Amino acid sequence: MTKLLDVTNITAGYGDGPAIIDGAHLTVEPGKVHCIIGPNGAGKSTLLKAICGMLSIRKGDVMFKGERLNGLRPDQILRKGICFVPQERALFAKMTVRENLRMGGFIIDDKREVERRIDGILERFPILRERADQHAGTMSGGQQQTLAMARTLIIRPDIVMLDEPSLGLAPKVVQEMFDIMKMMSAEGVTVLLVEQNALMGLKNADWGVVLDLGRTLFEGPAATVLADPRIQELYLGGKKAA
Amino acid sequence: MAVTLQDSSASAVIEARRAHNEKLSRKADQTRATWFPLTLLVLLAALPLLQFVGNYNYVLHLVLFTASYVAMASGWNILGGFAGYVSLGHAVFFGVGGYFSGMILARYGISTLVTAPLAGLVAAALGYAVGMVTLKVRGPSFIISSIALLMIARILFDNWHFIGGANGLTLPPNDLSVQWAKVPYYYAMLAIAAFTVWSAYKIKHSKFGLGLRALSKDEIKAESAGIDTRFYKVTAFALSAFFVGMAGAVWGEYLTYLRPNIFLLILISANMVLMCILGGKGTIAGPVIGAILIVALNELFVATMGASEINILGTGLVMAIGLIFFPLGLVGTLARSGKLPRVLNWD
Amino acid sequence: MAEIVQILILGLALGGVIALMGSGLSLVFGVMRIVNLAHPSLIIGGAYITYWGFKSLGIDPIVMLPVAAAIMAAIGVLLYRLVFQREAKSAKYSEMTVLLTFALAMMVEGLLGGLFTNTQRVTSPDYATAAFFIGDVFIPKGQLYAGIVSLTIIAGLSLFLKYSRLGYAIRATTQNREAAELLGVNVQFISVLAFAIGLALAGAAGSLVSFVFSFFPAKHWEWIAMLMSVVVLGGMGSILGTVVGALILSVVAAFVGTWIGATWSTLTFFLALFIILLVRPQGLFGEKPEMA
Repeated sequence: MTKLLDVTNITAGYGDGPAIIDGAHLTVEPGKVHCIIGPNGAGKSTLLKAICGMLSIRKGDVMFKGERLNGLRPDQILRKGICFVPQERALFAKMTVRENLRMGGFIIDDKREVERRIDGILERFPILRERADQHAGTMSGGQQQTLAMARTLIIRPDIVMLDEPSLGLAPKVVQEMFDIMKMMSAEGVTVLLVEQNALMGLKNADWGVVLDLGRTLFEGPAATVLADPRIQELYLGGKKAA
Repeated sequence: MAVTLQDSSASAVIEARRAHNEKLSRKADQTRATWFPLTLLVLLAALPLLQFVGNYNYVLHLVLFTASYVAMASGWNILGGFAGYVSLGHAVFFGVGGYFSGMILARYGISTLVTAPLAGLVAAALGYAVGMVTLKVRGPSFIISSIALLMIARILFDNWHFIGGANGLTLPPNDLSVQWAKVPYYYAMLAIAAFTVWSAYKIKHSKFGLGLRALSKDEIKAESAGIDTRFYKVTAFALSAFFVGMAGAVWGEYLTYLRPNIFLLILISANMVLMCILGGKGTIAGPVIGAILIVALNELFVATMGASEINILGTGLVMAIGLIFFPLGLVGTLARSGKLPRVLNWD
Repeated sequence: MAEIVQILILGLALGGVIALMGSGLSLVFGVMRIVNLAHPSLIIGGAYITYWGFKSLGIDPIVMLPVAAAIMAAIGVLLYRLVFQREAKSAKYSEMTVLLTFALAMMVEGLLGGLFTNTQRVTSPDYATAAFFIGDVFIPKGQLYAGIVSLTIIAGLSLFLKYSRLGYAIRATTQNREAAELLGVNVQFISVLAFAIGLALAGAAGSLVSFVFSFFPAKHWEWIAMLMSVVVLGGMGSILGTVVGALILSVVAAFVGTWIGATWSTLTFFLALFIILLVRPQGLFGEKPEMA
């Protein structure tokens, strides 16, 4: 079994505050779509933030390609090839789509190479090409999410982590976002996503992870997780088991 | 690829989830010690009896001084602690209260002990008016606007000849002997302080107080929950100004003079903030403990080093250390770690 | 007519200095969301460094400027590492930093008061009291030099922000800190850098202030509201806005001071602050809060 990212028993929280996740673990295999589900406050976003270096890890290890990532800054982790798109999408509202993509290549020193890759991205996402000179803040939610995801591809990352990409989007647009994710994974980019809409997320994923009270509860093929009656009762809004 | 369902640990977590849900629905058991502040109050009320056996004016002065800050800090706490709007301009209400009652005393000879509630109302009205304007902004912008308020008031008072301008006014002293001259103000200030703390308690446990705490956490959510946030905030501002104004009224007559550079000092505002932060913002006992601590510390600085520069340096240092290491204050920090002694739980 | 030109010139020259005083405040807020209430007290710190160099070594205040700036920058790095870095993850970060810088301002004031006493000081190079005359209009040399030096420094800063890679990173961090961090900007380093630059600007402003205004340790309380009104008018975080805000307000204050009375010219700034917060909290050049 090849593990791209291996998170073992980590504890993390905000500042000096209590630990939000305590004993979470996670295995990420290359090229698949992984979906983390769990109720509000379970620590899903916190887990992603801990992996990408925005929160310091108090205990446990994050291993990426056999290398320990604990204690690295977000910019260093990005350079290793892990990209994170937070819930707020982290766009520069007052910059155009093209400028946003350019910022996406901030860590690449060769500016001409960045421009070439931007052109490639615009080629693949016509919706962005049409709006290349428009301010990101003026676009619709779905377009903004598309831009945020497309922007990660500039540096050709190994893993893209997405925090609730479907938040606030219409159902039809949500499906488009999942299609983009599938396309990304088909190209060999591993996707790790947190989804509030557990049913939707698991149906579109290969691998499911259930997180609650800061701990990993289940980890397995998405279909298995989806079928488990206890998970259905507590997390998928299904009928209560008798 | 084997399925990695960890059944044993899974059912443990599910149990924990159920327990967690139950705990949230159960109201936390609170054991408060209201007898402690009441006993303290009775003891302090008996303190002037000491004057029969000797001259304890300095002790009375210290308690009075502390009581004035208990009232001011507890008043400030209503806006700063409950509603989460930090004001560095509350010295304005101290000054307005002092000048309003002081002017009546100077012109008509009516003691501030009588007019203090009126002074409080004037301060509250001003607070309401100012709040209507400045409470539109929050966070740092609000703090800055409160500093600007103080600066504006200082310039106006310094240049308003009717109230004595920068030189201020001298007020007539009462005709009691030195032995007993302080006692009326002592009781007045003690009463104001006790009334303020009691009111803060009542406010915190009212529906209004709940609304304030909700909007301090998230104003938009509070609003969508049906709270008229604007009315709540502005009322909290007026209420907090009311208590500070009352304290100012009595303080003026006690000092026997009014001067802008005594009342309209940013250091006075800073002290209110400092006391609440050090004691515990948003708690009932916090401002009281903060006031006692700061007055004691102040006396120590003045007694050992004298110079006012050192006092400013010391106040700043204590504030910085308090903010960095105990952002929740003494009461807050102890309460969070579950180590709050019962005598300090007045909430 | 000559009177109006005269007031305008005096207002603009002072405005230049005030712009420099405010630009550090604006930069630090923009990048770090720290409302540095200690900024004016650090300007006074810079003024005292300059005063010391002038009185005991006979060095011209403008020559002392880089020295004051360098000392303040070093203090900035130290302060950031010791105090603000650990606060960066606090939930009430912006409120905490306002209170912390307030405490810092008191400490600086107390320290300066202990070292230099509370008497009014001013450095007096030859040009401080000299003036050029153009017809009936006089231009005080001190204010003119100070204004020119200020605007030169600000122009340099703007070029740095616009064209250098670090400047690019600083601007991205200003717009959206989290996004910049996630795209590979080392925001910790950028924050230290911006804080140090902000304090260097305070030190530099202090050198100029030392011969334009008289100063004493507690003077900074008057300046904080004045600088805030300038920065808020221009839009927190916008350097260009700060310059425009400073020029507008100091010209208005100059007219108020001449025609109504000197006392009321400071009031202009405080009232302006109130009105701006009420009417347009984001200022002239500021942006609505970034995308949520």
